[in-house]
Amino acid sequence: MKRTLVAAIAVAIALLAGRGALAHHSGAAFDHERTVTVKGMVARVDWQSPHARLHVDAKDEHGNAVQWDIELPSPNTLMRRGWSRDSLKPGDPVSVSAHPARDYPNIAVAINVLDASGKQLYAGSAASP
Amino acid sequence: MAPRHDASALPCNIRSVMSSTARPSSARAGRCVHGAAIAGLSLLLAPAAAALAQWIDYPTPGVPRNADGTPKLSAPAPRANGRVDLTGIWTAAEVLDEPCVGREIGPAGNAGSAPAAPTAPIAVGPATNDQTCIRQQSLPADQVNIGRTLKDGLPYQPWAADLVKARLAKQAIDDPHAHCLPPNYPRAYVLPQFFKIVQTSGLTVLLHEFNASYRQIFTDGRPLPKQMNPTWNGYSTGHWEGDTLVVETAGFRDDLWLDFSGSPLTEAARVTERFKRPSFGTLEIEVTVNDSKAYTRPWTVTLEQKLVVDTDLLDEICLENEQDTRLTDTK
Repeated sequence: MKRTLVAAIAVAIALLAGRGALAHHSGAAFDHERTVTVKGMVARVDWQSPHARLHVDAKDEHGNAVQWDIELPSPNTLMRRGWSRDSLKPGDPVSVSAHPARDYPNIAVAINVLDASGKQLYAGSAASP
Repeated sequence: MAPRHDASALPCNIRSVMSSTARPSSARAGRCVHGAAIAGLSLLLAPAAAALAQWIDYPTPGVPRNADGTPKLSAPAPRANGRVDLTGIWTAAEVLDEPCVGREIGPAGNAGSAPAAPTAPIAVGPATNDQTCIRQQSLPADQVNIGRTLKDGLPYQPWAADLVKARLAKQAIDDPHAHCLPPNYPRAYVLPQFFKIVQTSGLTVLLHEFNASYRQIFTDGRPLPKQMNPTWNGYSTGHWEGDTLVVETAGFRDDLWLDFSGSPLTEAARVTERFKRPSFGTLEIEVTVNDSKAYTRPWTVTLEQKLVVDTDLLDEICLENEQDTRLTDTK
């Protein structure tokens, strides 16, 4: 019985860790099985702990304007990788792939962020804290 | 309009020791700017005092250097008051095997009179931890389960095993860390944020970036308190055995998490840490947890840390703009 439980825990950890759903402290909030791509223009960046937040003006599937709220790593993590608070400015075009929030629309956690030329600005897996 | 983020502006010295935390993700990640080159440019634009004004890449004093200016992490550990000195900024040596977004490509040429600093990777950590890989993220390998390296895993009591299974099933929705609560030890050693040890003769202080928090380890000979109001850090008293700092801690809250799986630490716990610094750039923390309420026997793991130089701690105040618990509050 005990061995089965230990094995079950190991499998659960491997599955969740592999999807990054545990290492990301809000794994419960985001659906790591789905990926969305948000293309649009930077509305603003909230440069605050625990996560910088990238707000993107985009269009939904009907062509209506929506604003996405997309979670990035902490400003500290970004700064140590060369970002500054001005790396993305309002009006900059971006393409973000992200895991969407389970229960709320237009909220997601970034997997990667590309600029207009397709240059990868950020490539964080869902395992980012 | 292209964003102003420029991977080539990342200082060489920070990249040379922070194996992947500081790595920019762009394809130009191999370039970096030597500190002296930055200084030269600043002189043209501002008084000399403005040069090297950023603490994110400020050179750490007292670090032994190779001829090219890179830190000599294999040098002997520093000493103070006749003992090894654990002072320094530390982070987990072994990180998760995240995808590589680039590879270290050697010295960058820069305009400027100073020689470019080669981006030598840190020579610590297990052989499987590819130090030339520029990773997307630097996440401690033990962050999900602190007993990862134990052959049979953590020896949970049955109720604790059930609890961990339930926590995993809910994706750690109740994790205190996700609710901005303190970085309790020893979990703090397997969180991605940095911590700094400041060693003085009667007190060793651990400063952790997460919530700008502190922990005190008294080395003035005092015993543990008789009555311990349960806290996140517990109460720590330490003594030296040769070059090993041996620390005893008790007085923990009853509901602490040791990792993202929710491995428990209870009020019954007595934690022993043995700190060794075998070289300038390596810290070994051997942690023994004796918590019969949650575990069937004491267990020991070694949480190896690598030194971080030429930068400093950055506060991360979690409640500043925490937005994720609102997404799960109804669950």
